[in-house]
Formats: sequence, structure tokens, C-alpha cells
Amino acid sequence: MKKFLSLLLALVMLFSLVACGDNSDNDGKTPVNSGDNQGDVDVPDDNGLGYTITEFDPEATYTSHGAITTLYANWNPHTYVDGNAIALWDYLSDSLYTLSFNDELHPHEGKDKDPWTSYAIIPQMAAGMATDVTAEVKAEHPDWMPEDATKGYAWEVPLREDLYFETGYHITAETYVQSAKYLLDPRLQNYRSTDFYDGQYGIAGGEKYFKSGTYALSAFVSANMGDDEYVDPANFTVTDAGTYQYEGKDIVLDINSGGNWGLDGGIKTYEGQADQVDRLIAAANDKGQVFLNADLLKDLQDFIAMLHGYGSVDEYAVDAGNYATVEFEEMAFFGQTWPEVDYDSTVGFYAKDEYTLVMVFNTSLDGFYLYWAGFGRADILVEPDVYESCLKQDETGAWTNSYMTSKETSPSFGPYSMTNYQTDKQVAYAKNESWYGWHDDVYHVYKDPNDGNVYRTNMTTNIVLDVVPESATQLQMFLSGQLSSYGLDAIEDYEKYNNSDYLQVAPDAGTGGLWVTGNMNGLKAREAADGFDKTKEDTETIGLTSFHKALAVSFDRQAFIDEVHPDYSTNFGVIGPMYIYDVEDFSVYRQTDQAKQALCDFYSVDTSKFDNLDDAVDSITGYDPEAAKELYKAAYEESLSLGYITDADNDGKCDQTITMIFSSSSPSDFVTRRINYLNSSIATATTGTPFEGKISIVESSPLSNEYLNAFANGSADCFIVAVSGSLFDPFNVLGMYLDPNGAILTNKYYDSTTDMVTINIDGEDITMSATDWYNALNGTPVTLGGKTYNYGNNNAEVETRLTILAALEGKVLQNYYMLPMMCFGSKTLISQQEFSVLDEYANPIIKYGPTRYQYTDAEWEEYVAEQIAEHGQLQY
Amino acid sequence: MIKYAIRRTLYMILVFFIITLMCFVLIRMLPLPALPPDDIHTEVIQLRREALGYNKPYLEQFAIFLRGVFTKFDWGLSEQLYTGRPVLEIFLEKLPPTMIVNLYSILWTIPVGIGLGILAALMKNTWVDYTISTLTMVVISVPSFVYAFLVQYIFCFRLRWFPLIMKGGTDWFSPAMFKSMIPAVMALSFGVIAGFCRTTRAELTEVLTSEFMLLARTKGLTKTQATIRHALRNCFVVIVPGIFGEFIGILGGSLIIEKIFSIPGVGGLTLAAINSQDYNVFIMSTCFYTAIGLVASLVVDISYGFIDPRIRMGSKK
Repeated sequence: MKKFLSLLLALVMLFSLVACGDNSDNDGKTPVNSGDNQGDVDVPDDNGLGYTITEFDPEATYTSHGAITTLYANWNPHTYVDGNAIALWDYLSDSLYTLSFNDELHPHEGKDKDPWTSYAIIPQMAAGMATDVTAEVKAEHPDWMPEDATKGYAWEVPLREDLYFETGYHITAETYVQSAKYLLDPRLQNYRSTDFYDGQYGIAGGEKYFKSGTYALSAFVSANMGDDEYVDPANFTVTDAGTYQYEGKDIVLDINSGGNWGLDGGIKTYEGQADQVDRLIAAANDKGQVFLNADLLKDLQDFIAMLHGYGSVDEYAVDAGNYATVEFEEMAFFGQTWPEVDYDSTVGFYAKDEYTLVMVFNTSLDGFYLYWAGFGRADILVEPDVYESCLKQDETGAWTNSYMTSKETSPSFGPYSMTNYQTDKQVAYAKNESWYGWHDDVYHVYKDPNDGNVYRTNMTTNIVLDVVPESATQLQMFLSGQLSSYGLDAIEDYEKYNNSDYLQVAPDAGTGGLWVTGNMNGLKAREAADGFDKTKEDTETIGLTSFHKALAVSFDRQAFIDEVHPDYSTNFGVIGPMYIYDVEDFSVYRQTDQAKQALCDFYSVDTSKFDNLDDAVDSITGYDPEAAKELYKAAYEESLSLGYITDADNDGKCDQTITMIFSSSSPSDFVTRRINYLNSSIATATTGTPFEGKISIVESSPLSNEYLNAFANGSADCFIVAVSGSLFDPFNVLGMYLDPNGAILTNKYYDSTTDMVTINIDGEDITMSATDWYNALNGTPVTLGGKTYNYGNNNAEVETRLTILAALEGKVLQNYYMLPMMCFGSKTLISQQEFSVLDEYANPIIKYGPTRYQYTDAEWEEYVAEQIAEHGQLQY
Repeated sequence: MIKYAIRRTLYMILVFFIITLMCFVLIRMLPLPALPPDDIHTEVIQLRREALGYNKPYLEQFAIFLRGVFTKFDWGLSEQLYTGRPVLEIFLEKLPPTMIVNLYSILWTIPVGIGLGILAALMKNTWVDYTISTLTMVVISVPSFVYAFLVQYIFCFRLRWFPLIMKGGTDWFSPAMFKSMIPAVMALSFGVIAGFCRTTRAELTEVLTSEFMLLARTKGLTKTQATIRHALRNCFVVIVPGIFGEFIGILGGSLIIEKIFSIPGVGGLTLAAINSQDYNVFIMSTCFYTAIGLVASLVVDISYGFIDPRIRMGSKK
């Protein structure tokens, strides 16, 4: 008995000592429950890692309830089309690596960063970091990389050995390879196949296998010509059949494709309207392909000339020069039969052994981009047995794939399993016990910055997403405790909840403002239409830069945000405050001196009057009603001198009214509010000017998806839209303005290839077109006067690149086609059941950190009942 | 009568075929969405369209479609909305919630609507009639989605008698599912009740003042007997087509009500199919509604003969 009591006493003392320990240290002591997480239980430190994990109650459930407006029907990683659909797959899947928060347990590699300020590369399905095996792979497959490749092309990834699908299928490197074979199978024509092999992060050899043995049209002829852009048809060779080829590839017109011309349905839609078109259509094979010969090429050139309003290509050439004869290359494709190849000898994505995957990329990669984008190419894993059962071929020969379109065809290898999928109604997930991450003590844990305890990253045990299209219904559900979050939507929401303790504000990459057309041809065409009374109306003034300048200072951006979009923030540049130019430092472009100076220059801020550039930038409002009046007067004078408007009665006021059409996809409260705000601001700014009471903005008829084209084509004059690009590549964002192919909103009236820009680089003034600068900045060498310029990543100092970027941003601003007004953002109320580890938004990777729960589901139900009994609804 | 029914059935099949052909050709004539030239997926989409026969002549495409339907009852696969899934399966999956909600609605709207109409007619020009008639006008004047929001706010959010949205799952006849459907049923019913009430009142009021009703009373029938045996039967000549009209509505669903209460029904299916140019889904739903409409119209015509013996068809003079 004494022995028993002694033992009992010893145990009690031991537990007492343990309970007194400081659990914030990684000293292996058993922690004390912090108490802020009801249902947590402690476990002794037995993981040998120097810290103990505060476990969540294994019996409790923590359910995240979400409301969505659209429930996608296909989340197959090989075939999904809408980018948002892949969110359904995310719960079921896992990656080789992930970029996650940098806490004390997972510091940022390479540089000393405070926890929760940067990011960390976390191996997930990989067993460790990747190894560069470029030299080794190059020796065996020199065709996969350039001759001078020494590093960064081929990487070896060790895989964990405890990876399984929920079906029990064991995941090895061969499973990845089999998945790639399915993805690239030429018969299946998977929508996402090109993602796997295309571009700098693509997998070497993927395209060859995907097109193996098929006759395929590749890019447009013009897109293949590089610096020359077009090839002289005189350099085409002629086959025995009389058809043209260039470097062994056929020159092919697809009558069903509009090519770069944006012709819906291609030239087939012009059938019967011109003999040339009819001859081309008659010459098409059953796939709609026309192999151009001399006669057919002439027909195509003539047809293009007719679209421009000329009788023939010869007439067109008088005005357009040589371009008239080569413009067809923007519509015609290269066609070729790709040689038959087998996967194993062709594709740089293979298994070295059971648990080692080798990936060979099209370009040399390392660091952030390797782990962020490169290894993301491996997110194609499918369960082979289920996948095979989902493939069906119909009698026309077309293959369909039902993998990941229902609960039964969605085997998970990620943290959650799909437990219910009801079309257009609900999708539900529950904890997938076979996922290694639930038991991983190394990479799926974090040290809480508030209490110092170590918790598992995933606390949510169940996820339910209901389709709730109406935001009013969503709000009622949220206030009834049935939703875990609610994105503020109506203006009343902002008024009511803008100061809520439960509000999370997240910025967004989308940056934009009011776009105003400069499409003079489009405006003149509208005036030429029947019924347009030039004595009473005018549209041409809308296209004047002087008019745009007046508009630019007519709007109080802060008032716009307050009255129309409380979830947005004010913006004065082309590139928003989210874009990071140096991922190692997480340095933001907008915070650079170059970017600040560009704004100050554009908004005419005298920086000498301020202590620093920050103060100078802070002084920018973009709103100057007095200056606006002068600018409207200047626009009036210019328009008057050009004969666009008149002042017949010499009263100093414009005789015509100017009605600007606001391009709208569909009517909405927000569109109405935007237009009302713009009209009200213009009315104020034009008071006392010749345009007083003469300018108004009206909403277009609902244009659905055509609202962008309407603006681009000149049938609408303005709209508010934002542009976003890769958050980690601000240098590429300006493509929407300066790349003729990407500038779909302005390329009909702004030619960035002839708009010259001079930038001083290292003391030397260099002049080239805005497009050339943009290309050089993004790594495409530009040769001028025998000298080649390349300011791409790894080709120029980052300071030089920033200087060019800022200069180009200034150039875009000076065009006055896009008048900056706002940056996108969101404001979301978070349920009282949950909280985020961080109080403030950290960065695009961390955001607010992991989610934790204050109440188990059972406790939450009780809490909600109490609150409703007391207040009628939850209080936020 | 039988000859008439057979002839009408044959006409119906012909009309069905013509409508289907027209819809098929018209929808296929819509230009496919333009493919962005810089999108790396453009090439794959073109190959896919080719494989699916989108570039073949329309009549050839129609022939392929008909062959699939008649030989295998294969209505094809959804290409845009529900990629790779058979459209018949999708349609059948979405039909039950729409049908059940509307069936519950019609099950109580018919007796209530007709009952109130009878009451108003029998108590014409009394406060009961005035109250019913006024309420009927008010209810008819307000669109059903307004009731939907009111029902949701009052009964679901404030009083918490019912869930805010329809329950997930396919246990269509469970008590929990029934409870979750009640708000939608209520929102759908107000207008229909008012409609039946107004029609019944108007018809019955007219019939009750007819001479044959006086004759019936003079023959010794009580007012109740005369009303039920003669007046109501005459009214049904007008009311029954209305009921069939509602029945078609049952299958068509209500886009707005389904949206507000998150009912995964067929309400917006056809519209979504047109917008996304999901040919097979559009054709499936169009054929279905065409068939239902034609059958309902045939049934209505034939039912006249049973409701009112004076209306007999098929005999030649």
C-alpha cells in the first residue's frame, strides 16, 4: 500500500511540475492548455522535435459553412475550364510543396524575416527539398534543354512514402507519371494539357507527346516570326499540290476561327457576302482548314482589304504598304503533322525510382518561382483506376471524362473527402483520415504568435458549401449562425458593419478606374449613322485627350470609394499596391522611389515641398475641380477648332450635348451608383464651363460578356474596370496597355509600337517604342541600331527594371485612356465561432493566417441559441 | 372521340418534330464563343469542337442527334455546364425538387383557391366577398419574389419556424425536407391561390345567375346540390385548363423562387444552357417542355368532353 501511495504521490508531483512549466518554450515540456480554445487537449511531448503540440479535441467537430453563388460541375484537374472550379479540388488534393506562412518553426529560408511577415516553402507530398539534377539529366536527354544549360532545368523531388488516395491506392512517382500520361493523351484533348507544357514553367517535351501523330495547327503565322513579326509571302515554298509552306509547315486558314481579328465564327460568318469568301469556304476540308495556295491567298488578302473598306489588296497596299499583303498572317496558322513519339523518351516528367520524381522544365528555375509555379505543374495527380473508369468514347470518336464530376468520381488524396455533391445545391467534405497531414508533426503545425503554443495547421474537420445566390439570404444565414463568413455586398452592409470587430479587410491585385475611349474611328462612325443629328449631339469630343484630362481631375476618388465601393481603396496609378517585385524580400513596387516619383510626376506634385516622397504621394488626391474647369474649357476650344462642336449663338457654350455610353454587362445597383456618381461629379466640374449641363453618362443595354468588346470596338465610350496580373510579376502587368496583342481595350486606336519613350539607363538616354520597352523589360530581346536590349529578370539590375517600369507606367498614365480610381478589395465578416491567428492582413500568401475555432459545433449551436434568444440574431 | 384523339396525337408528334428541328438548328447557328488568340487553351478547344462535330452541316448534326435519341435514348453529354455528364441524368436529377415544391404548392392552392372563390361567389356583395376580392387583387398585383423575401424574412429569419434555404440532400419526402420546402411553397402559392379564387368567383357568379340554375332549384334541388352538381361543373370548363397550365408551370419551375430558396431545380436550366451554349442541355430541356406543353394541351382539349358533355369532338356532321 505504501508503495502504491508513494507511486501515486510521485505521479502527482510529476504532473504538478509539468503543469507549472512555461509552455511557450520549445523545451519539450508538456504544455498547459491556454484555455482559449475550448475542447483542446494536451499531449505530452513525444515527437522529439523540441516542441509539444496542443491537440484539438479529437472527438469534437469544427465545421466551416460557406455560401457560394455557383457550384461548379467539373473539378477535374485535367479538364476544368473555369479557374474558380478548382477550389473544389483543392480540398481533395495536395501539392508537392506549398508556400505558407513563416512562423518560428518554419522560418523564411535565406533571409532573416520576422515570423508571419514573409513566407516559407513547406514540403507537402515531397519528403524534402528538391535537388538540381540538370547536369545528370542533360547527359541523357540533351534535347530537353539548351546546350548551355547548367542548372535549374531538371529537378529531383523525393516523395513521402505514406501517400494514399482514400480508395487505398498507394501514390508513388509512377502515379504522377501515369497522371501526366492521361493529361497529355492526344486522344483526350484535355483542356489543361497546355498548362502542363506551355510557357517557362512548362514541362519539357510535353507538347511533342500531346501532339504526337496528329496534324495540328499551332500558333498564328505572325506569332512565330519573332522580331520580324511577319514573313514575306515571297519566301513561302510551294508543295507539289501548289500549297504554300514555310520552313516545312503548311500555311492554313481555319474558316471557323476568327484568329486575332475577333471574328466570332471566323470568316465562315461572311459566307455569301463576297466571292472571295465563298471560294475560301469551298476550298476548306471537313475540318474547316484551307491550305492556302496562290489563288486562295489572294482571295484572303482581298477579303481582308474589303474588311478595311478597300476594293482589293492592291488598293489597300497604297495606304497600308507591305502590311496589306502580310496582314493575313494574323489569321492563318502554321500546320504540321507531329511525329509519333512515346511518352517515356519524350516527356521530362518521369519516375527515377518508386519515390523519386524528376521534373524537367522549359526554362531554368530556382527559388520562389520553382516552388511556387514550377512544381505546381505536378498538381495533376489522379487516381488511375477511377480515372480509367470515367473515360468514355462516343460513336463520333470524341472522348468524355467524368472524373471529378461527382462524389463517387472524386477520390481524395488531400485533407478532406467529399461526402456529398448535389448539383447546383451543396458540396460537403469531411476529414480524410488517410491524409498524412493530420498526423504530421513537422510541416502541418505552427507556433501561435499570440500564445506561443504549437497547434496543428488544420483545425476544420468539416466543410459545407451551400449554393445561396441571394446575398440577402446569405446575410440572414450568417446572422443566424449558419454561415462562417459573409462578404459585405450592399452599401447598407458597409454602413452597418464597417467598424465591426469581426471584419476582415483584404486587398486585391485588381487595379483600375474609368476607361474612356480614344477610338475616333468608332466615334465618327456613330456620328455618320442615320438619325444622328450633329447639330444637337456630339461624340467626337469624347475621344480628345484634352477631354480625358478634364475628366481625370473631375472625380474625388475618396468620395467614390465611400459612396460607391466601400470595399475598394483609392488608387492613383496603373499598378496597384499589391504587386511584389522581389519575392525574397517581399518588396512592393508601389513602395519604391521610382513608382512614387512616377505618380508625383504625373499628378504634378512638387516634391520639394515635402519632407519625403511618401508625404508627396500621400498628398495626391487626383481631384481638382478648379483645374477641371480650365481643362474643360481647353477641351471645348480644341473641339470647337476641330469642328466637332459648334457655338452658333456665340453664347460661349457648346451647342451639342455629349452623351457617353457606359458599357455594362448587366444592370445592377453598383452600375447605377457608379454612373450616378460620375454624372454628379461631371455636373459639378463643368459648372461655369462651356460644357455645363451638356455632358452625361448613360448605361448601355445589357451586353453580357460583350461589354469589353463594345468598349474596344467603339460602340461604348467608357466603363469602370480593373486589370490584374500575377502578384509576383508587376513587370508583366502593363501588357494590358503596351502589348498590342494584350491591349484588347485600346489596340484599335493606340499604337504602342510607334509611341516612342526615352528612358535614361545608366546615364544613357535610350529611345524605343513603348512596346519594345515592355518586351525588353519582360525578357524579349529588342535589337535597335545593332544593339540588343534585354531587361528581363536575371538580365538587368532590379533598380534598372524598376526605373523602366515606372517610366512605362507614367507613359500609360499620360495616355489618359484609363483614369485611375480604385483598387479592388473585399471586406468579410467572420463568424464568432472562428478567428484568425493574425489580426491584420499580412501579405498575399499568409493573409490572416490559419483559422481556429472558439467553439466546437455543439457549443456553437448552444451559443447561437442563447444569442438569438437574447438579441434576436447574432451581434456583429 | 378516339379518331380525334389519334389525329391530334399524330399532329402533336409532327409539331414536336418541327419545333425540335427549329430549336436545334437555331441554337447551333449561334456563333460559338470567340476564342482568345493568346489563350493557350484555344487550340485544345478547337480540336474538341472538331471532335464533337460542331463544324459539320446542321442537318448532319441533327441526324446524329436523332439517331442517338431514338436508338439509345441518348440525349448526349453536357459540354459546358456539367462537363461530360449525360444531360438526361442532369435533367432527371434537377426535376424532383422543382416538381415536389410545385406539387405541394398546387395540392393546397387548388382547394384553397377554388374554395375561397366559391365562398366569395356564394356570399357575393357581402363583407366576405369584398375582403376576399380585395386581398385577391392585392396578392395578384405583387410579384411572387416579393412574397418569397417576405416569407423568408418573417417566417425563417425572425420567427425561425423554417430553415432559410431548402435542405441539401435527396431525401425528398423526409419531414426535414418537407419543412424546408414550406417557405418556397408558401411563396409560390399566394399568387396561384388568388388566381384560382378570382377565376372561380367570376365564373361561379355568372353561372349562379343563369336560368338553368333557377330551373335546377325549381326542380327541387337544394342550393348546395344545384351549386355542386350544375354550377361548379360549368365553372370547371374554365378552371380545369388553368389547373393544367399550373401543372406545366410545375415542371417549368420558378427561376426566382428557386434562386431565393436555393432549390436545385430546373428553373434556370434552359436559360443557363442558352447562355453557355450547352447545346445538348438546351435541346433536352426544350424537347421536354415542348412535349409537356403539347400533351397538356391535348389533355385539356380532350378533358372538355368529359367535363362538359355539350362539347364532343370527333363526330362529323
